Amino acid sequence: MNSFRLLVTGAGLLLLLLLTVPLVNMLVQSEPAILASTLADQEVIASVFLTLRAALWATLAGLLLGVPLAYLLARSEFRGKSIVQGMVDLPVMIPHTAMGVALLMIYGRKFLLGGLFQRLGITFVGTEAGISLAMAYVSMPFLVNAAREGFTAVDPRLEKVARTLGASPWQAFFRVSLPLCRRAILSGAIMMWARGISEFGAVVVLAYHPMVAPILIWERFQSYGLRYARPVAVLLIILCLFVFAGLRWLAARNGREE
Amino acid sequence: MLRLGNIRVHLGRFRLRIHRLHVRPGEYRVLLGPTGTGKTVLLETIAGLYAPRQGQIVLNGRDVTRTPPEHRDLGVVYQQYALFPHLQVFDNIAFGLRLRREADSRIRKKVEEMASFLGISHLLARRPGNLSGGECQRTALARALVLRPRLLLLDEPLSALDLLTRDRLRRELQRIHANFGITILHITHDLDEAFFLADRMTVMRNGMLLQEGTPQAVARRPATRFVAELTGTKNFLPATVAADGTIMVREMGPLDPGLMTTPPGAGQGEILLTFPSWAIELGAAAEQGSHWWRGKARVTDIRRTESQVELELARGDAVRLHTTLSRREAEQLPFRPEPGATVRIAIGQNDLHWLPAGEE
Repeated sequence: MNSFRLLVTGAGLLLLLLLTVPLVNMLVQSEPAILASTLADQEVIASVFLTLRAALWATLAGLLLGVPLAYLLARSEFRGKSIVQGMVDLPVMIPHTAMGVALLMIYGRKFLLGGLFQRLGITFVGTEAGISLAMAYVSMPFLVNAAREGFTAVDPRLEKVARTLGASPWQAFFRVSLPLCRRAILSGAIMMWARGISEFGAVVVLAYHPMVAPILIWERFQSYGLRYARPVAVLLIILCLFVFAGLRWLAARNGREE
Repeated sequence: MLRLGNIRVHLGRFRLRIHRLHVRPGEYRVLLGPTGTGKTVLLETIAGLYAPRQGQIVLNGRDVTRTPPEHRDLGVVYQQYALFPHLQVFDNIAFGLRLRREADSRIRKKVEEMASFLGISHLLARRPGNLSGGECQRTALARALVLRPRLLLLDEPLSALDLLTRDRLRRELQRIHANFGITILHITHDLDEAFFLADRMTVMRNGMLLQEGTPQAVARRPATRFVAELTGTKNFLPATVAADGTIMVREMGPLDPGLMTTPPGAGQGEILLTFPSWAIELGAAAEQGSHWWRGKARVTDIRRTESQVELELARGDAVRLHTTLSRREAEQLPFRPEPGATVRIAIGQNDLHWLPAGEE
């Protein structure tokens, strides 16, 4: 092995070690009895499922609104495009608690959009809808950017040819661009869902209750200490590991078939 | 068949300005121009992919200026094929037929017939990623032709192919044109392609059409120096037209007024005298026959290709002449053509043409 390959492999292994040691350590240190009782704890189970479900709603909303925006950013040139791109990336840069405060000030019951939605019977403060909203705001860039890159990689001439073959703009999008961008969108959606599940800062401001798993871990740590926070974290990590490994495998298999 | 009148398209800083373009039914028209001159924009404007700011596009007697591409009844084939990579060759060809909601049995029949015509029947189950350049281009042609469009737009369809495949597909395009009686507008920067395929040729530069005619007519009587250079002319001799119409060629003397006259109204002043490279004769051939000029020139450069020898000759500082010989002709010369050698040359009387000097 030459020195370049050795250095690259060494650096990669070191990073992998740094990433996995805390997680493996937490798994090893878990007491089986407490882990078993955590598995039977209805509050924990409800919280984990709430987290997965709320992140899923956020991702679905992201697909519905984020994919068109990604397409627009990939295909159109317009004045202020870099500003729009910056706005998409904003949630990655600002502290998520600040984003939570910003959301509270617009979606709170006494504020503009919060008031409007309340008339339709939808409230965001302290509800699952609020959790999904906070998750969607902070994790949207992952989906939009992945989908934008996917659309950019699709040769615009494919759509043009489709149009000359008789396709309407809708048909060209759904029969050509979208299938070719499917993997990028799926990958972005997985990242968005993952980021939504791990969200704490924005959710804790907008909807402390019902408690999502990251808040439950925090609450148990504050109230009972590390020993009781750890099993919930372990459970969430194991579940996420299986779910994401499964989704990545599905996405990769899809790609091979193409 | 296709008429464009007063078309203006703005794309960023680029301006497409087409005063008039008329392609007759069944014609094979080649649009010749260098890269970056707006040929693809013009083609995509005809296809309806760009909306002109003003002007009119008439296709088959119908004003289609504001008609979306899917309703224009034309096919487009790009240089890089633009095949749908997620679909098999069969589904690529069937794409337009499925959009028309034709019955599956009819689609299968039409796709198989077209694949057979283009010699790609054995590729129908493959994905475009597993095809050669020539196979990709045949698939792209099949996909467009299976819809039987009345106009086929070809955007440099042979430029990405190797020489052998290019030659085969050139013949294939001739066969398609003869077989389907389809009108074709083919854009290219390749002069050979234009001469081989075109009924008529249009030269384009900087978003504008410069000259139109049969390839032979355009090459013999180019309107500007740019058209002359694009169509292969390399000999440009500076000359002056006197008040009495006499033409004085620099370093070479007067030109017999009977051989070429400037058109009425051309007036006095500087012109460029042009003629094809084969009008220059060397050695023994230069001593016989009728020539408008005989004299000596210095060999300044030699370029040898696999079959030809190209000589650059100089007379004085201002005059550069170019001639091309076959390798056999070069071997039979009574002197060895080397830079620095002085040779006797003669320039034939036919195919003399003049251009306004200073006009690109």
